[in-house]
Amino acid sequence: MSALRFVLNGEGREERAPPSTTVLDWLRLSARLTGTKEGCAEGDCGACTIVIRRPGENQFSAVNSCLLLLPQLDGCEVMTVEGLSGPDGPLHPVQQALVDTDGTQCGFCTPGFAMAMFAFRDGGEPAEAALIHEALAGNLCRCTGYRAIVDACRKLPAAPAQPAAAGGAGSVSADGPSLGAHACGGQAFHAPATLAELMELRAAHPDAVLLAGGTDLGLRVSKQQEAFARVISTQAVSELATVRAGADALHIGGGATYTQALPLIDAKFPAFGALIRRIGSRQIRNLGTLAGNLATASPIGDTLPCLMALDAEVLLRARGGARVLKVEDFITGYRKTALAPDEIIAEIRLPYLPAGRDFAAYKVSKRFDQDISTVVAAFVLRREGEMVGELKAAFGGMAARPARAAALERALAGKPWTPAAHAGIDALLAEDFSPLSDHRGGATYRLRAAAGLVRRFQLETTLTGAPLRVEAL
Amino acid sequence: MQEKVKDAPSSQFKWVGTRAVRPDGVDKVTGRARFGADLAMPGQLVGKVLRSPHPHARIRAIDVSAAANLPGVKAVVTRDDFKDQPSEFIPAGEMMINYRDVVRNVMAREKALYEGHPIAAVAATSTSIAKQALKLIKVDYEVLPHVIDVVDAMQPGAPLLHEDMITAGVEPAPKTPSNVAKRVEFGHGDVAAGFAQAEIIVERAFTTKPVHQGYIEPHACVASVSEDGQADVWVTTQGHWIVRAHCARLLGWDVGKVRVTAAEIGGGFGGKTVVYLEPLALALSKKARRPVKMVMTREEVFRASGPTSGAHVHVKIGARKDGRIVAGEAELKYQAGAFAGSPVQPGAMCAFAPYDLENVKVVGYDVVTNRPKVAAYRAPGGPISEFAVESVIDEIARKLGMDPIALRLKNAAKQGTRAAYGPKFGPIGFVETLEAAKAHAHWRTPLQKNQGRGVASGFWFNIGGETSVSLQLNEDGTLSLTAGTPDIGGLRASLCMMAAEELGVDLDRIRVQIGDTGQLGYNFLTGGSRATFSSGMATVEAAREVIKEACKRAAKLWELPEDAVEYMSGGVRPAGANAGKHAPMTLSDIAGIAGKTGGPIAGYARINAHGAAPSFATHIADVEIDPETGKATVVRYTAIQDAGRAIHPSYVEGQYQGGVAQGIGWALNEEYIYGPDGRLQNPGFLDYRVPVASDLPMIDTVIVEVPNPRHPYGVRGVGETPIVPPMAAIANALADATGVRFTDLPMSPPKVLAALDEARAAGTAKM
Repeated sequence: MSALRFVLNGEGREERAPPSTTVLDWLRLSARLTGTKEGCAEGDCGACTIVIRRPGENQFSAVNSCLLLLPQLDGCEVMTVEGLSGPDGPLHPVQQALVDTDGTQCGFCTPGFAMAMFAFRDGGEPAEAALIHEALAGNLCRCTGYRAIVDACRKLPAAPAQPAAAGGAGSVSADGPSLGAHACGGQAFHAPATLAELMELRAAHPDAVLLAGGTDLGLRVSKQQEAFARVISTQAVSELATVRAGADALHIGGGATYTQALPLIDAKFPAFGALIRRIGSRQIRNLGTLAGNLATASPIGDTLPCLMALDAEVLLRARGGARVLKVEDFITGYRKTALAPDEIIAEIRLPYLPAGRDFAAYKVSKRFDQDISTVVAAFVLRREGEMVGELKAAFGGMAARPARAAALERALAGKPWTPAAHAGIDALLAEDFSPLSDHRGGATYRLRAAAGLVRRFQLETTLTGAPLRVEAL
Repeated sequence: MQEKVKDAPSSQFKWVGTRAVRPDGVDKVTGRARFGADLAMPGQLVGKVLRSPHPHARIRAIDVSAAANLPGVKAVVTRDDFKDQPSEFIPAGEMMINYRDVVRNVMAREKALYEGHPIAAVAATSTSIAKQALKLIKVDYEVLPHVIDVVDAMQPGAPLLHEDMITAGVEPAPKTPSNVAKRVEFGHGDVAAGFAQAEIIVERAFTTKPVHQGYIEPHACVASVSEDGQADVWVTTQGHWIVRAHCARLLGWDVGKVRVTAAEIGGGFGGKTVVYLEPLALALSKKARRPVKMVMTREEVFRASGPTSGAHVHVKIGARKDGRIVAGEAELKYQAGAFAGSPVQPGAMCAFAPYDLENVKVVGYDVVTNRPKVAAYRAPGGPISEFAVESVIDEIARKLGMDPIALRLKNAAKQGTRAAYGPKFGPIGFVETLEAAKAHAHWRTPLQKNQGRGVASGFWFNIGGETSVSLQLNEDGTLSLTAGTPDIGGLRASLCMMAAEELGVDLDRIRVQIGDTGQLGYNFLTGGSRATFSSGMATVEAAREVIKEACKRAAKLWELPEDAVEYMSGGVRPAGANAGKHAPMTLSDIAGIAGKTGGPIAGYARINAHGAAPSFATHIADVEIDPETGKATVVRYTAIQDAGRAIHPSYVEGQYQGGVAQGIGWALNEEYIYGPDGRLQNPGFLDYRVPVASDLPMIDTVIVEVPNPRHPYGVRGVGETPIVPPMAAIANALADATGVRFTDLPMSPPKVLAALDEARAAGTAKM
């Protein structure tokens, strides 16, 4: 059991700490780097934002340090607000921009914004309003109304071609990550590097907690102070990190983050890509995985209706073999799946749509960015002339698990794909679903919104030139 | 677009009115600024609070023995550690507090009155031990029926929170107790006679939900009590003298034994004007004989620190066809949370304040319910009553076919107008904000499909109060400025600028800090938009004292009478008949000889700042509605407000924009949601939705400057007024777009869609 190795603000560190320690707590309490703030400890406010560069990656990603367990830093380059400007150097351009635009008021959220802006600049994106909003969606400011901060983003000079990051003396690549296992204080953390090792560990420790991105798991540590006896992380397993466009399907590895999966999903399923951009924030998407969303099996898991409508399959692996399930069969109930204790999600397969299919995905939430869904819908339509050949309509937020709307699908098959045929869809959806009323939306509203989304899909697929993309709902 | 109207008067100054770099900017972007939770003391313990899971329960017994015996637990406190306090109201910000209630709010006594009410607190060597200890505390509750809604709480037979609560302000006093703590009434004229002259009367009922200030920094403090009773507290607060006063009182200690240092504050908006953790941390530290650090979780912030009131408001306004308002009447029911003291009084005073009315009457009720005790929130009380009044005024304008700005101009309060709450206004800038709105390009830009435009105005009093500032002239001629009002929105920059202006020195010659309670005389808190006004006034006075002393020292050196020396452009020189007799000396020269001419030079102002003047605003909002989902998006927003004089225009604009952002959240999304069990369902940023960057337009601002003649630089407080108009401006824009009048906040998509459906069925919808 070796120490964790990472580079923090340009200095190599070797650390031993109980694995169920959040990076935020470690930074603030052990490293005494208190520039990184805790505003909510649940990944919503972004005051704890830091940037990390994982082994093999060439740019920094913003993450919520409150959700990240310390061993997840193994092998990474890490930068906090304290590392932005050199010890005697001038302010970093993101800091200077915030000073120049008066982008601080109380200043509590500022370090998190500075780090989100650092990642934005490091990614080399153009300073357009939509991208700035996307980059800042994971950071709350209650003082400024954001204008001065958005202005600061607009004024950022481009990053140099070689990221002027920590780099230098303490670079991780020389030592590499500690690999394998880390144990401290009666807690063990395994980060196997190969699938074979992962399967061995999974078989040996069926009661261990599996960690992919940790955005749900991290919450249990951060908020409930849970301490896991044993965690097996899929993060370092190279076979699981791949995202590949195969001959007839997109193959998304079980360890691939949303951010890693996005470019190919954007290319093959633009509407799905647009929906993924509305999951949490960049900080969340840089950690969270599609497989994790699937394994959590929440009734409002944002990606699940898309996976269902697209007939996605999930490849489950155990030491003894593998099996493939349809996503619909994988999810068995409210937060329940068919995943056996010795299995892992190795891959999600998204078969390409045959030509002529219409596909759309919609998310209804109170806020465009960084919000929990009230209703999510995904539709795939095969038309026969003016008629519906087949409609696949999957919804989240309408029942204990995401599900297809069987009665709706049956009733519309063979009917004209016109507004007139939609007269009865409210009743059909009420037959399919009896949604809950909660503070995110009442049953009536959910049914009304779901029907509205069917109508919107009809309009968008029949009006020429209408965008088939998720919009601000 | 950022604009400043009447820029000219400021240009007479070198610093005032410029956009100088703020002194705290660099520390904030580097992470060096130290906030409430950033201090660690050697040997410090972690303090945690056990909170009631019940909204209303009698506490029969508390057994802490198992917790106290857990290894690592160093102290446990409960109600038994705090002496009961007599009923006595004292001012805190714009609100009044009662120590009998404060002692019960920091630690429940007879009853738990809301979910989250503290029952006990422990100090332990680690967070996990502290949390384990909380689980070992046995509390015997007798669960009682609860009441959450303000109207329900006023019904006969409603569960009583305080069995001895007799409504104040009612003659003769009621014989039976109720949840109505107080009735207030303001107004003048004869409303019945006024309504008799009306040619149009609009009457509406409105409801608003409690919303939280939503500061990103949770409450946090570190307390240390030595064996001889010297106590130190490091805390995130808007007023450390208030913290000192409350803690000393609740613990029965001498005020002078308690020293409180204000950390950098991560937002407050009124919510950090009361004590929650500090008395507990001190009591724990005294028992444990070690420093104790306490930090609230976000969930605790939502469940147990003050939001503002939810309310029910009824407004009736009558006007003639020419738009002249002949009578206005309002009834306000504000929920106070578990203890008396909602902001219904300022709400009632604000309701009709922007208007010159002959007949006006406002009645308000302060009502207790089983929710956390409300705390001040930016213009406490004003946004609620003014939302209702400004909505009805808009409706009258629409019904009369009148431009809503013209209608407001016709009724606007001016210098000499007798306000509905009593006094006559001095010079005020309300008309100027309306004229600026009318002239603004925003007001004339055509709207797109599914969009509507609304306008609304707002008012806030602003206050002054007790203030101490010291200004030391250092031996090299630099200056150290110490103020006692925590800097929550750019205060330090503004104070430096006023001092530099007075002294004629460069800004970087002055370093400013917020002093602790041992370093200055009493300072009332940062609230009521008073800090730049009051500490600015005191800074000017302190600077003038330094100038006077500098002249005196030069006079001594030159052997001239004091009045033969004048101060100009950062130095002294002989004046009048003696002009030119000696070479002028700079302030640095004077500083260098201070020791030889009488000792250190410093100015120390101890004032009760009078002459605070109200600030008026007029806002324009463009809102786009999605007709299918009911989602409203603010696509353009312009905030126009009288600042008196903007010392640092960027921070004034920051206040305008920040207030608007909070107002947009209040209008469209934010609310406390309770289940039938009386428990809060959304105690986190996940489901309590404050706006993110993409929820807001780039908020435009216009600074109007009608100087306050009673401040040396014309300052009016600006921080609070900006949150007043947005709710009505947005509701009025929604009415413009949809034809539907929205009276229930927040105007969230489900509500908007339901109202649209109803209006479509009735044939009254515009979309």
